[in-house]
Amino acid sequence: MSNTVIVSSMVKISESHINELLKNKRLPGDLAMWFFILAELTVFAIFFIGFAVAEQLNSEMFIASKAKLHPVAGLVNTLALITSSLFVALSVSAIHLGNVKKSINLLIISQCIACVYLVVKIWEYHFLFSIGIDIETNTFFTLYFLITFFHFMHVLLGMVILMLIGINTKKGAYKEDISGFESGACYWHMVDMLWIILFPLIYII
Amino acid sequence: MLTTKQTIMSWLFLIILTLVSVYAGKVLDNNLVFITTVLLIVFLKGQQITDIFMELRDAPRMWRLLLLSYVFIIPTAICAIYLF
Repeated sequence: MSNTVIVSSMVKISESHINELLKNKRLPGDLAMWFFILAELTVFAIFFIGFAVAEQLNSEMFIASKAKLHPVAGLVNTLALITSSLFVALSVSAIHLGNVKKSINLLIISQCIACVYLVVKIWEYHFLFSIGIDIETNTFFTLYFLITFFHFMHVLLGMVILMLIGINTKKGAYKEDISGFESGACYWHMVDMLWIILFPLIYII
Repeated sequence: MLTTKQTIMSWLFLIILTLVSVYAGKVLDNNLVFITTVLLIVFLKGQQITDIFMELRDAPRMWRLLLLSYVFIIPTAICAIYLF
């Protein structure tokens, strides 16, 4: 007899409610990290809305400036961050199952893919500087450099966090409590989520 | 806990949505349709990251709704700014 049936028969509660309780819904990672994530999302929300408003006030200049960007570079960065997030998610699944070596290997792969983002972004900046465009060129490029560099720094921080998580995993830190591992992973996914909004806003629309 | 297959399928969905949003820019002439399509795709991608990658599908409802509302409200606000 299943646990659901046994408990249901003892107390008059619906089976679906019992299933809900047995699922034991929990927030992955530490609560402090989630408040940090919410704070970061809020800051970027202000940037995104501000960018959209600035574009409406200077639409012709924004259209002309966007034409100078490399949409392929933006696409490559999107694919790199999404794929890197995949390997981080798989790494979390591996550590859930206690597979330490697999988890570390997946983290390493995710970081290698994240390096693609770093290289492409640095190349983009170098390209723009080489054609005489910088943060003071116009409002579009001021916002472009501010927002994308701010995001770039978050990617770097995320990579440092994941590297530390990898080191701790090798030392056996996540055998009982993996909330620290999940926290770092969720931060990385947040960075990915921000780029998912940033990419169409700056490169496509 | 999600399976490897679920995670990989979600990744594949994200890749396809990304390529569709880039392609939409080349084929859609109508500005309203184009911007709405791209920002709808942003929401769908955000939902995948929230529910699958962040594993909030099985988290307390409040946190899941908080993140999902972010990827709904921000693209909607951007859409409203561009179109009105």
